[in-house]
Amino acid sequence: MPPLMAIEFLCRVADVLSDYLGGLNEDVIKDNFVIVYELLDEMIDNGFPLTTEPNILREMIAQPNIVSKVLSVVTGNSSNVSETLPGATASCVPWRTSDPKYANNEVYVDLVEEMDATINRDGVLVKCEIYGEVQVNSHLSGLPDLTLSFANPSILDDVRFHPCVRFRPWESHQILSFVPPDGQFKLMSYRVKKLKSTPIYVKPQLTSDAGTCRVNVMVGIRIDPGKTIDSITIQFKLPPCILSADLTSNHGTVNILTNKTCSWSIGRIPKDKAPSMSGTFVLETGLERLHVFPTFQVSFRIMGVALSGLQIDKLDLKNLPNRPYKGFRALTRAGEFEVRS
Amino acid sequence: MAGIRLHVISSLVLVAVGKCARDPSVYVRKSAANALPKLYDLRLEEHTSAIEEIVGILLNDQSPGVVGAAAAAFASICPSNFSLIERNYRRLCEILPDVEEWGQIILIGILLRFVIARHGLVEESIMFFLHSTKSGKSEKDGEASKISNKEDTGYGSKNDDFGLGADVSGNIDLEFSNMVSRCYIEGPDEYLSRLSYANTGPSELNVAQFTSGKSNDDVKILLQCTSPLLWSHNSAVVLAAAGVHWIMAPMENVKKIVKPLLFLLRSSNASKYVVLCNIQVFAKAMPSLFAPHFEDFFICSSDSYQIKTLKLEILSSIVTESTISFVFKEFQDYIRDPDRRFAADTVAAIGLCSQRLPDTATTCLEGLLALTRQEFLSSDFGSVDGEAGVLIQAIMSIQSIIKQDPPSHEKVIIQLIRSLDSVKVPAARAIIIWMVGEYSSLGETIPRTLSTVLKYLAWHFTSEALETKLQILNSIVKVLLCAEGQDIQSFKRVLNYVLELAECDLNYDVRDRARFLRKILSSNLDSQGLEEETIILSPNKDLAYVLSGHIFGAQTKSSSPEPINYRFYLPGSLSQIVLHAAPGYEPLPKPCSLLRDDNLDQGTNGLERARNSDSFDTDETDSLSGSLDEEGASDYGSEHSISGSNVSGGSNETGSASEGDDNTDPLIQISDVGNAFENQLGVSHSGSADLGELISKRALESWLDDQPNSSNTSTSEQSQVRISTARISIGDIRHQVKSKSYTLLDPANGNGLKVDYSFSSEVSTISPHLVSVEVFFKNCSSETMSDILLEDEESNKDSNSADQTLVATDSSLTSHNNVPILVPIEEITYLEPGQTAKRIIQVRFHHHLLPLKLALSYNGNNLPVKLRPDIGYFVKPLPMNIEAFTDKESRLPGMFEYVRSCTFTDHIGELNKDKGDNLVVKDNFLVICQCLALKMLGNANLFLVSVDMPVSTNLDDASGLRLRFSSEILSNSIPCLITITVEGKCNDPLQVSVKVNCEETVFGLNLLNRVVNFLAESSLSPL
Repeated sequence: MPPLMAIEFLCRVADVLSDYLGGLNEDVIKDNFVIVYELLDEMIDNGFPLTTEPNILREMIAQPNIVSKVLSVVTGNSSNVSETLPGATASCVPWRTSDPKYANNEVYVDLVEEMDATINRDGVLVKCEIYGEVQVNSHLSGLPDLTLSFANPSILDDVRFHPCVRFRPWESHQILSFVPPDGQFKLMSYRVKKLKSTPIYVKPQLTSDAGTCRVNVMVGIRIDPGKTIDSITIQFKLPPCILSADLTSNHGTVNILTNKTCSWSIGRIPKDKAPSMSGTFVLETGLERLHVFPTFQVSFRIMGVALSGLQIDKLDLKNLPNRPYKGFRALTRAGEFEVRS
Repeated sequence: MAGIRLHVISSLVLVAVGKCARDPSVYVRKSAANALPKLYDLRLEEHTSAIEEIVGILLNDQSPGVVGAAAAAFASICPSNFSLIERNYRRLCEILPDVEEWGQIILIGILLRFVIARHGLVEESIMFFLHSTKSGKSEKDGEASKISNKEDTGYGSKNDDFGLGADVSGNIDLEFSNMVSRCYIEGPDEYLSRLSYANTGPSELNVAQFTSGKSNDDVKILLQCTSPLLWSHNSAVVLAAAGVHWIMAPMENVKKIVKPLLFLLRSSNASKYVVLCNIQVFAKAMPSLFAPHFEDFFICSSDSYQIKTLKLEILSSIVTESTISFVFKEFQDYIRDPDRRFAADTVAAIGLCSQRLPDTATTCLEGLLALTRQEFLSSDFGSVDGEAGVLIQAIMSIQSIIKQDPPSHEKVIIQLIRSLDSVKVPAARAIIIWMVGEYSSLGETIPRTLSTVLKYLAWHFTSEALETKLQILNSIVKVLLCAEGQDIQSFKRVLNYVLELAECDLNYDVRDRARFLRKILSSNLDSQGLEEETIILSPNKDLAYVLSGHIFGAQTKSSSPEPINYRFYLPGSLSQIVLHAAPGYEPLPKPCSLLRDDNLDQGTNGLERARNSDSFDTDETDSLSGSLDEEGASDYGSEHSISGSNVSGGSNETGSASEGDDNTDPLIQISDVGNAFENQLGVSHSGSADLGELISKRALESWLDDQPNSSNTSTSEQSQVRISTARISIGDIRHQVKSKSYTLLDPANGNGLKVDYSFSSEVSTISPHLVSVEVFFKNCSSETMSDILLEDEESNKDSNSADQTLVATDSSLTSHNNVPILVPIEEITYLEPGQTAKRIIQVRFHHHLLPLKLALSYNGNNLPVKLRPDIGYFVKPLPMNIEAFTDKESRLPGMFEYVRSCTFTDHIGELNKDKGDNLVVKDNFLVICQCLALKMLGNANLFLVSVDMPVSTNLDDASGLRLRFSSEILSNSIPCLITITVEGKCNDPLQVSVKVNCEETVFGLNLLNRVVNFLAESSLSPL
């Protein structure tokens, strides 16, 4: 069995478990051992993955909630494996539950993008790309057939699809045609490469002499994306040769954690001033100058904007009894956004 | 249910699963497929064929979900049973995108293996490209280099104590260094290909095994169906699909896999590592593929150290002239990384880059020198290990750059020497000092500075570290040996001083070295007194110099960072990650090892015609289609399996003999074409008996005889060399097996009726006591014969009163065993003159030596005939692998083991025949193996387990060649093992010793006698 298959499967298990239990750590698993066991039993059989589609699993094994807990205490029946076999296992669209019914049909499409960027010591943007996901949350009755098209599919560098997406229409017209699973799922992920600029700039300066090092970090908006940039945080790891650090900022809070990680949370950039952080490091004795420099990791979030510029053109729904509600959202956040100093 | 691992209920479960496999519900069928591997795990031999049958049914299913599960079952149960795939190949390909993702991964692997086995590699693919670059070479050093391949990885570790082993392993070392240098100079392309073949079972591939990807539909459809999978959101699927494209796709289409692979780098850390490992191999083989995407390999601070090093390695292998500047900028940043281990690796990577692109060497050097200068400052208090590592690595990189072109980097050397004062890390100092010694005679300025440098070194000698001390000693000796003119005296003084110091050193290594040098250079040092004489280097000194050069040169080399990744496995496999064959790893099947029957027939036909031309292309056969024989053959071959079973009386057991075959030898499964040919021979020529027909028959016969000869090439293609002793697998030998026929009734005695019989290798389906015999009736008279019937004498005992007593005992015996002596055959009502008819009778012999009396009735007469048994057919093939064989053999020692020897001469004829056609160079070994195996298989119903070949230097010496056969006695299923060991020269009669291990002693002895008899009997006697 290929190693990637094992890794991928473990990732899937982790996803499903955290989906069921709302988090994944030792205590949670201990508390919900029965469910974890049941899930694993369904997901793997004789060393081969069996049912990994979360939708079907959800149908087979009920998600834990208060009601079921009370029920199990009362009746003494601890199993929450459903008696009947889910219909989807036999259908030709194994990812969809057989026949869901919703009073109000709605489908939400979210563009969630992560920006990966690397800025080198000279302040030059070395690499800037967007990794995006189209997340769909569908609550549609029956067996709908959806078609999603983009206004500018040509900017997509590379794509990966959920198994429900048909390959042919994409190959010919770059249209996503699919029968959606029920609930939240990742329809596709894409990559847009070679972007020219980042929404914010981070300029670190480190000058060292005679055993101390002065640090100054400036943050500002380079290109206004039109929406507010919030939850800006800058993190960096202090080099091992630093004995102590003293950092202050004119906006936001600076924390130095025990593992020599320093994080400066700015939040929103104020209108009137550019936030900056400054301070000094005391180097190890005998060390004149700092010769290793930390890398600053920046995180931010912009609601309502897809920085890649990808736009959804339209979403057509077929096979539906009544007009559904369609909703679109976009979100960009920083992925591996790094500034070297 | 299947999860209950109980042998008792397994047969019940099997029946249930079989039923479920035909269930209308998809889910039930899928569960059935999932249950199969569990059943198989119980290791019940008798169920294997039934399970495989169910796998076949499930693979044939219409629902994608079922096919996915069935594929998984297939892969774990019978991964080499390609006939199941062959039937459904096209449908499987089409259904592939709809199969669930886990099934896809497995199915892709299966289909890839199938296509390779079936059609060979694709002409336009990288694999072929890589192969063709080396093909010129492989002719000559194919065998030798492969062996050393095996050794080189082990050799890398031996490198440390290289100084001692240099003389011993000089031969291999040459090859090793040659290989490494070739690997770096010509790009690792051909190196990769050779190695990947060495690992995937080294095989001498020739052109015939490549098929054109454009013309071949099967290949095309596979590529077509896997390309959308590159968009899958399951990274394992993407990698599997990429692997297919990497191996099969034409060169220009391989690009497709790049972006999806790079996209995978966004997934979890663990899978990132796996993907990078695979990319690394791809990038090394074909740097151009990933060169435009170098940015993707830039390092994130959040990457783990392993990922960082992998990325560095990839970067340094894909960097090009145009991108080097960006990459160097990045590298400069990396050097500042807090992780010093990584920084050191970066420095090493710079060195690698500059080796790849010599033009950039100067830039690299400058950067590195600046770095070293900087490092001196920080390394003043070199307490931090990491810093020292960076510095050492930097100097090592510089050293390796200089090595490429010493004269042009003279200044750099001087700079380094100047910096000796500030460099404090012993290893780095040692390297610089080594450079002093190595390049002492280089250029203008270095020799002039030498005396100062040496004095400086001598002055500091006592305060140096061990490593540096040793290096100082070596360098001074080297300098001295190269020196000319008046410097020599001062050098000598320095050396003497240093040696004296060294001899009083605390460390015994240094003392040893000093004494050793003094001894070796004694002549040189003694001549100190005769100052006026210019010293001519004595041979002794020369030797000393060479020796010292060797020893010390090798020492520094061993510490240089050469990536030890010389092993390549299939993309995506675990073995590729851990760099050794993980348990369960299976290389790709040998290309073209699975041929369609008609392909094979045509191929061998083509060979018969153009036997001298080494390469046979399937295209070639088009031109040969005129031949009548061939038409018959190909007609036959196309629906061979059907007609084969028709003719041979509906026994569908042919495949079962080899189904459990672990030896990845799918050819045997096709069935006994040799027999089939014979049948065909019998059938197609039954019409007339005129002379013309006879001639063509003879032609066909001679062709059959030629087969072993002509198919040698194909065998050698498949020859598989393994590590300790070479092991050849003769895959298609069964096709050439022709069983002997005996006369039952002479035409002279039988009024023109001729009856021949031969033993068939088929196993009776009715009872294990029965032996199948093929009987050929031929009417040689001019009259029609009617009512021919062959039956047991017992039924005619009234008429044959003479033999009554004997028959009576027979009958009692028969009734006792409750098995009929002869399974009645249908009567041949009419046999026209010249016509031939064939019947298969199943006979129970009373004893494996005594003839059986039968009555032949025709035209109303009764004739007694005697059917002589052949003990060789009282056994049936027992498939097993070599481990099982040796295990069984070890359990049957002492009185169960019998040995006899005889001489074997058959091969001489074959070898002489070969000399006739010079164009085909054949391996003598193969010819011998072939002869022996043919002889054995032709005279007894055996299973060829393995052919072991000694790895000897003498090509003409066949001693040590060992063939192993296994079988089991029909009546009681007692295993019977035969080992044949060959002794003697290839071209002389061979001394063959036959060993039989069998629990049943009498049977074993008789079998041994029989084997010895037929081995000793010359092949010149008509078959």
